[in-house]
This record gives sequence, structure tokens and C-alpha cells, in this order.
Amino acid sequence: MRDVSRIWKAFVERPVALEARGITLRYRSSGRGVEGLSLSVGWGEVFGLVGPNGSGKSTLLRVLSTAVEPDSGTFRVGGTDGLREKRKVRARLGLMVDRPTHYGDLSGWANAYFFARLYGVNEAKAEGALSELFEYFDLAAYRDDRVKTYSYGMGKKLALIEALAHGPDVLLLDEPSLGLDYTSQLALQRKIRDLSASGVAVVIASNQVDEVESLCDRVAFLHEGRLVEEGTPEELISSLQGVRRIVATLRNPVEYGSVESVAGVDQVVPEGQDLVVHCEDRPGIVADVVGGIVRAGGDITDLAVRRPSLEDVFVKLTGETLRDED
Amino acid sequence: MRINPPDAYWKKDVALFFGRRFALLIKMIYPMAIIVPVAASGIPAEYAAAVIGIVAVMAGTFGAGESLTIDLNDGILVRVALTPTSPRRIVFEVLAVNAVLDFVQLLPALVIVYVLHPVSMMWVLAATFAVFATLVTANAIGIFIANFTSSPADVLLYATAILFPLIYISGFFRNRHPEGILAFLRNFVPFAYMNDALKAVFGLAVKAVPVEIFVYPAVICSVLVFAVCMTAPRLLSPRL
Repeated sequence: MRDVSRIWKAFVERPVALEARGITLRYRSSGRGVEGLSLSVGWGEVFGLVGPNGSGKSTLLRVLSTAVEPDSGTFRVGGTDGLREKRKVRARLGLMVDRPTHYGDLSGWANAYFFARLYGVNEAKAEGALSELFEYFDLAAYRDDRVKTYSYGMGKKLALIEALAHGPDVLLLDEPSLGLDYTSQLALQRKIRDLSASGVAVVIASNQVDEVESLCDRVAFLHEGRLVEEGTPEELISSLQGVRRIVATLRNPVEYGSVESVAGVDQVVPEGQDLVVHCEDRPGIVADVVGGIVRAGGDITDLAVRRPSLEDVFVKLTGETLRDED
Repeated sequence: MRINPPDAYWKKDVALFFGRRFALLIKMIYPMAIIVPVAASGIPAEYAAAVIGIVAVMAGTFGAGESLTIDLNDGILVRVALTPTSPRRIVFEVLAVNAVLDFVQLLPALVIVYVLHPVSMMWVLAATFAVFATLVTANAIGIFIANFTSSPADVLLYATAILFPLIYISGFFRNRHPEGILAFLRNFVPFAYMNDALKAVFGLAVKAVPVEIFVYPAVICSVLVFAVCMTAPRLLSPRL
């Protein structure tokens, strides 16, 4: 009985997986960075950092990965101080940077094995873990090919394998699915859910809102280096009652100024052949938006009115979109 | 001992060195192509020693400096530094493995020099050690330079600015009989000991005795290696 209470006490008192307080880092060259960011991620939680390019996602991950020291603020990984005990923290982290690089003249296997051993994994465990991960991410057939012959997506998968092979407690992933084919994206999502179920804390920096919405337990929005909102995807989206998103597919690009001037339209963003209109949910607004597009000379080939997403939440909060900055 | 797949930084460098076959062929041939004709010709002994010295200095400095800056630019070295491996250990391995690989490149040419110019075993060992100490020093300079630039082209520029005065003080071509401050400074440059040893190999009488060639460069190199390893946290951090 005493053992049970001791284990329960240890479980209850276990420090959170990742805790950051007041992280500030400004790049001297550009003046950009992050300002006073605080967040807390629990064991087994998948936490999303969402924001447009330049919002500070990668900068925050640089700090949390111990690559750079912040100007001020502190963070802990599983209770270990990330500024004072960097090597201990590094051993507990799995890291995939936004632009992964490898030794091009070594094979994929040699690269992954090298990193696994640098993380202190012994030979037998490294070979076992890597065999499983190469199979899982469909890279087994290419394991002995030189990395310089890999496609971008294969390089990304290799970086994921390197991040996972040593069995990290906390996983930091920067744009993990960018460049991955659909099957690999699904495999990655399945792996993240499995890891989360086994107690691994996962932080994903991304502006792929569909992925964040389906994977993350909690989401934080970053804008110009500051945290503007935080909550579960459901909470955030449900705060947007009365907002709609109209997606019009056009045959030809148009000047969309006349759409922006329609009453109730918050933001208009061109995405490929689509014109995405974030607007209020009022009677007649779809007809008004269509009228605006037609007046601008647009030839609509498809039209959809969608429920609000995390992107709409961001637009509502900041007046900007996730994808057109920079 | 298995080199590939590598389980340490130095093994990765060895695997890459022997993996690029054409580059390996060129690296092995070029010291021979420069040093052997010089050793076989009748040019004055001090110039022959100086040419070998210059090849060693250049190979060491540009080797580590350029490969480091390329890896820094690529971001791969920063990624390696984010593993729990000590940054100082990584830099030590970079330095040690580059010096040894440079030495492997120069060794065949040195052996031919010793065959063409037979000399006592003590001087052969002293000259070989002095060349290795020069390579360690030159690699340390290359790594030191990589602290201040992430451009391989800048490494060439900065290296030239640092090496020219050291080569002058060592007395490769000019300043062969230094006095005063120059003589004092010469004692702290490992290139000078290599120059003395190579002159002895080519049959010139030198002031230094073999034991000095072993002791002083070893002490100087130890200090340099320690100093360069202390720059590791800065060297391996992202250039923002």
C-alpha cells in the first residue's frame, strides 16, 4: 500500500514535460524574434504552434531545442533546466528542424545510425529501432542509398527517423509534414498519436491547419513573436460562431478589391486557383461575395461554404492570414 | 573496429574521406606531385624543406577550416551539436581526425623524401612528428578561423592573413637567422620546428636537437588544442 501511494505521489508530483516562462529572443539583424512567450506541455500531450512565416515558431523551437539561448526567460524539460543542463535536456529531446540536412555522401542508414549513437543508444538497440522506423516510413528499400540521391520528402522522413530513434520524452517538430506525400503524412500522424498515447509530449510548429486541428490537443497562435491565443482546437473554433469561409475556385486570376469591400468580409486570400473569403455569417453574404467576384471579372468554376477552421480563428484574432505573410 | 556506419564524429569523417574515391585519389596524389619532384631535384635544401612545410601548413589550415564552414553553412554541424555529445568533444574530434587524415595524405610523400635523403632514424622520427604537429597547429588555426566566418572563401582570406606572419617568423624563406623578438617568437611556432627537422633531413646542420622537436611542439599543440576546444560552444551554435 505504501508503494502504491509512493508511486501515486511520484506520478502526481512529476514535473510537466515542457514548461517555458517568459522566453524573449530578438535577432539583432532583423529585430524579429519572440517576446515573453510562456507555455506548458503535459506528458502525452500534442501541442501545436501555429502562425505565419516569421511569427516566431521556429525561433521558439530553436530556444527549446537549446540551439540558442534566449535574451530572457527560462524553460524546463521534464523538470531539467534547459539553460543550465543543456546536455541532459538534449538527451530527452527528439528534434526535427524545418530544413533537415544530412551527410549526402553517407547512406540514409549511416546518417540515422550516427545520430542514434550520438544520442547514446547502444549498437543493438540502434539497429533494432532503426530497422523498425525505416520499415515504418517506407525507407527500408533506400536505406543503403547515399542521401544525396534522396528526394526532399525522403530526406524529411530520414530526419523524422533521426528524431525518433533514441526514444525521446519530448518531441519538437518544425513543419514535419511539409513536403511529405499523403501516405507518409498519414504514417506520421499515426506515429505521433502512438507516441502521445505512450506518454511522449509532442510540440508541432506548423501552419498546416488541417493537420494541427486533427492532431493537437492544444494550440497556441503566434503573431509577430507573441502568443495571441491558446486553447483546444474545439474551444478556439467554437469561439468563432458567426464566421464563415467561402472558397471560390476561379478559371482566371482577378483583382479582388471589390470582394474586400463587400460588407462583412474580413479577409480575402488567393490560394492557387482559389479565392478564400473569410467573412461574417449574415443572410445574403454568399450572394454578395459571388456578386463581388463576378464584378471583378472572375469566372467561378466551383464554390464551397466551409465551417470555420483554425485559420479563421487566426484571421479573427490578428486580421492576417497564416499563409500570405513574407 | 567498424567505421561505417559511423558511431562517432571522427568515424563519420573517416568514412566520408574514404568514401569519395576520386577526391581521395586527388588528395593522395597532390602532395606527392609537389613534394617528390622537389625532393628529387637539386634545389637548395632550405627551399626543399620550405616547400614541404608550405604544403603541410596549407593542407592543414584549409582542410579543417573549409570542411567546417561548409558543414556550418549546411546546418548539419549545428544539428550534431544538439545531440547530448559534448561540443568540446566534437571539436576535438574534428581537429584530431582532420590532422590524422592530412597526415595520411602526406605520409607517402614523406617516406619517399626519407628514401631519397637517408638520415638517422631519430631525425626521421623528429621530422615526421614535427610535420604532424604542424598539421595539428594548422587545423587548429582553420577551426579558430571558422569561429568568425561561415564562408569557405573567407577561410582562405583569413588563413592567408594569419599564416603569412607565422611562416615568416618560422624562417621558411626569409628571416632564416632571426634575432631579438623574432627569435623569441619563433620558439612558439611549431612550423619552425618542422622547418628545422626537414632541413636536417635534407642534410643541413641545424641548432635544434631532435628532443626539442618532440617536446616543444607537443606542448604548444596541447595548448592550442585546448584553446580551440574551448571555442566549441560558440563555433557550433547557429549563425544568426
